[in-house]
Amino acid sequence: MNGTPTIPDQNLEEPANPQFETNVKNRNRKGATWRYIFLLSTVVGIIALSVLVLTIIDDTYGLAAIEYKVPLSEILPPGKTIDEITCQEADVILQENVSKNRYRTLQNEQPITERTQEECANLIVYEIAKPVARATWSLSASLLNSEEIQAYTTEKYPEAELVFKKWLTKEFITSPQSDDPLTAGIITAILGSLWIIVIVIIVAFPIGVGAAIYLEEYANDNMINRVIRTNINNLAGVPSIIYGMLGLAFFVRVLEPVTSGAIFGFSDPGTANGRTILAAGLTLALLIVPVIIINGQEAIRAVPASLRQASYGLGATQWQTIWHHVLPNAIPGILTGTILSVARAFGETAPLVVIGAATYITFNPESVFSKFTTLPIQIYQWTARPQDAFGNIAASAIIVLLVLLVALNATAIYLRNRYSRRLV
Amino acid sequence: MNRKLLIAISALLLITTLLAACGGQATEAPAPAEPTAAPVEEATSPAEEPAAEPTAEMPMESGSMLPEIDPATVTGDIVTAGSSTVFPLSEAVANLFKEEGYPGNLTIDSVGTGGGFERFCKAGETDIANASRAIKEEETANCAAIDRTPVEFRIGTDALAVVVNQDNDFLADITSAELAKAFSSEVTQWSEIRPEWPAENILRFSPGTDSGTFDYFVEAVMDSAYEGDGEGEKQILSAANIQFSEDDNVLVQGVAGSPYAIGYFGYAYLSENEDVIKPVSVDGIVPTEETAENGEYPLARPLFIYSDAGVLSAKPQVASFIAFYLSRVNEVIQDAGYFPASEAALNEATQNWCAATGLCQ
Amino acid sequence: MAQRQLTNSFPIEIGEGNRKVLDLRKRTKLHERIIQGLLFICGAISIFTTIGIVVYLGEEALRFFTLPEVTLLEFFTGTVWQPQIDEFGILPLLTATLMTTMIAMLVAIPLGMFVAIYLSEYASPKVRSTIKPTLEILAGIPTVVLGYFALTWVTPILRGVFGENTVQIYNTASAGLVMGILILPLISSMVEDALSAVPISLREGAYGLGATKFEVATQIVVPAALSGITAALILGMSRAFGEAMIVAIAAGAGPNFTLNPFEGAETMTGHIVRISGGDISYESVEYKSLFAIALFLFLVTLFLNLISQRIIARYREEYD
Repeated sequence: MNGTPTIPDQNLEEPANPQFETNVKNRNRKGATWRYIFLLSTVVGIIALSVLVLTIIDDTYGLAAIEYKVPLSEILPPGKTIDEITCQEADVILQENVSKNRYRTLQNEQPITERTQEECANLIVYEIAKPVARATWSLSASLLNSEEIQAYTTEKYPEAELVFKKWLTKEFITSPQSDDPLTAGIITAILGSLWIIVIVIIVAFPIGVGAAIYLEEYANDNMINRVIRTNINNLAGVPSIIYGMLGLAFFVRVLEPVTSGAIFGFSDPGTANGRTILAAGLTLALLIVPVIIINGQEAIRAVPASLRQASYGLGATQWQTIWHHVLPNAIPGILTGTILSVARAFGETAPLVVIGAATYITFNPESVFSKFTTLPIQIYQWTARPQDAFGNIAASAIIVLLVLLVALNATAIYLRNRYSRRLV
Repeated sequence: MNRKLLIAISALLLITTLLAACGGQATEAPAPAEPTAAPVEEATSPAEEPAAEPTAEMPMESGSMLPEIDPATVTGDIVTAGSSTVFPLSEAVANLFKEEGYPGNLTIDSVGTGGGFERFCKAGETDIANASRAIKEEETANCAAIDRTPVEFRIGTDALAVVVNQDNDFLADITSAELAKAFSSEVTQWSEIRPEWPAENILRFSPGTDSGTFDYFVEAVMDSAYEGDGEGEKQILSAANIQFSEDDNVLVQGVAGSPYAIGYFGYAYLSENEDVIKPVSVDGIVPTEETAENGEYPLARPLFIYSDAGVLSAKPQVASFIAFYLSRVNEVIQDAGYFPASEAALNEATQNWCAATGLCQ
Repeated sequence: MAQRQLTNSFPIEIGEGNRKVLDLRKRTKLHERIIQGLLFICGAISIFTTIGIVVYLGEEALRFFTLPEVTLLEFFTGTVWQPQIDEFGILPLLTATLMTTMIAMLVAIPLGMFVAIYLSEYASPKVRSTIKPTLEILAGIPTVVLGYFALTWVTPILRGVFGENTVQIYNTASAGLVMGILILPLISSMVEDALSAVPISLREGAYGLGATKFEVATQIVVPAALSGITAALILGMSRAFGEAMIVAIAAGAGPNFTLNPFEGAETMTGHIVRISGGDISYESVEYKSLFAIALFLFLVTLFLNLISQRIIARYREEYD
């Protein structure tokens, strides 16, 4: 119940004390002022988030000055435009202009004559004409300064065409990696990130909650338990790259038979390598377990003893009490810890680079024993590149990452809302 | 003995196919450079050392001695790691390799030159190390400890651009000596270098001490102006108003922020930001493809990849990839933002490849 | 009152006319013991992790300290950190870490607390269930993005407010501010949980005595939730301590011994991340020094944690 009870000063039977009256007024005024301050802080937080997200979205659409290395007019037969070209004609053109190896690869993927007209047109454009994004602009710049951009482009890049480019497209999400920002995609990175985060949740959640239960319900206040408690608080502050180094030394090197899958017969022991999704997941799980434990501890501690006593009074064992009474009431706090830690783990870069996440990889991960790359690593790499267009695809990748994060957390948030209720 | 026989046989195979290829233009020439996969029944002559006579092929350009590689016939994994500067280049070549049909697993980790050598020479985990500097003695010693001898392949050039703000109206050319002064603790204001320059603080922007660019600048510019072991480095590290950053994009922001700023970083970051910064010619020479390639421009640093002869023979796909790299790198190097290595350097790399694999000629 | 049915836990059924004797001796069931053991292992994993970290870092750090160029005295008191010229003073890195953490906490603590109080005491359940997860998205934004945000948005604002000559392009102030925004959801969510867990009976009692909502919130609820609040603050501080990317981008890559937040500087974590990803040889002194820095950071965090634990233990109150 959150309603403000009104102070029934009108119902007082004693004669109204003027000092009391002004005091009440002051207290109410103070309360109202502070209420606005609290509301303002929330608004500031929301504004900060909105500004951040908007600046990122700003870069996912915009004008781009595209230059073709080979003008389309030189490739296409005279009189035909790119939209009129049939796949049969495209086949012939490709055979003449593209290296034989590349042509063979394309044919093996899907014979050119069997593709749709749009795909054939795209092939001609990307394989032969080879577009390059010479400069790009954000959405706000494109909307507000379009004439200046127009003038700038005609002056600096006379050969270039100014198009309104949508960077966050379905092709972007489903294409594999490439060095060309116009054709690069993030499917490999998405799969890597998702595989890892699933392992992280499966490993970290039970261990974290288990340790929290132990520390709050079972542990006596002896030396070793106090050491454990201090330990956990300390571990929450260790920089993530140290966990990366630890994970490298332990999960990748010492546990190599396990993390490379050799022990399960998954890979050839001769070439097996511990730098896999499994090792990365375990390392990140280790990173976030302390936060889950601390949140869990606080949540379990906050369950009133009266609830526990009532349960014991009816004859339940300790575990029954915990499982049926304490945990359900502590779930919201535990889930908060999980949500915050999963968010952190999803965005980690440094420890994964140490573990051995690739920055460029030619294949999608097939199992937990595969090599991998992740979204944050791609984003980090692209933001460091000089070409404008990389900034745009980095922004698009960030949006995808945030959407995935929200989706991942949605279950936890739903559960948290369901279990969240005030205790007496 | 067995391995030499196989090498000889595949060398002969190669020669025969090259001869065939030389005759016609667009003939299919799948020349598997894989000694272990070479069909033994095609042996046409007894085992001979591949110190064969020079064939009718006279090496005309640097690439002509390398065998033609068809990526679709290359099988097996390739693991590379190293410099973040070389990364865009390796990524472009690897992408080309994949597009032309390579079916296997290729990974490139961008962990820095130091990390690349660590994995190559200490852990022996990678097949190729990407490096923006030459390998150091300690690292070679580590390699020796795990039975690896690094083979160097020069694959490109990164020109260092010295840049100033677009609104800088007084600086167009600087001598090497003045450049060293500009980044030293000797002077604080522009006018102390040349009296006609404004009496304003020099705002300096430099890559961090962990960067190969920094090392190269110290070596090429500071050390030649300041005698003494480590003196050049001391000068730049104790300079006033110097700001370091590990991200070159961030350095661009820095220089773009003031007309009295000066900075240096890879050429690619200049060419992409020419609306806010502009280059300064060093000793009268502006970095262009020519001047970077032929060595005229004084601040052009080499880019390398390293491998090992043992790796090249145990994993023939690595040998194929490097051969592919050396022959195709100049197609993609401009887009990546770098300049081609000189003919001589690429020839030397080719020679190194041939010596390590024995698959040429 | 119990909203859940106790499951079939009684060992003996008591039905009409079918009485059996209840055995009231305390017996610990085997499966209870097993569960307890499993849970203990979960807790013990943290010990193994710490041992692993200390041993691994300690080994390498020892190798660093036994080098001739390095002395412990210089390490702890030197004001210049430039391994290339044999300067190994940790103070510049330490001051930068402390400064950014302090600025971050100055932003995150008040904002986080106020947001938490608003969500827990004033907002309707619907508003709370929308805003809380929305703010938690902030925790998921990659720190690289926040670093660039600090450089391209916050620094120009600071330069506009304080003047271009006082504020350098790379400065710890904007890194600290943005770090505060990163930590905000951490503090606000955890504190909100703690505040929500305070029993309503306390609030009702206070209202009954005529307190205003503000007084209830600040004088009753917050003190009651102090344990959870301090846990949140400590976690937030630890996160700020261990943050690398934001500072690396917005505050520059040069260790600088200064207390001026408008100058560039480098934190301990930022330094570790930068060097390990750079071109420096792993055999060099500079690389080996990273382990010493990491160990030092670990010990400083431990020290701060011990102090905070003492404080909590004194002020924590249990209700009901």
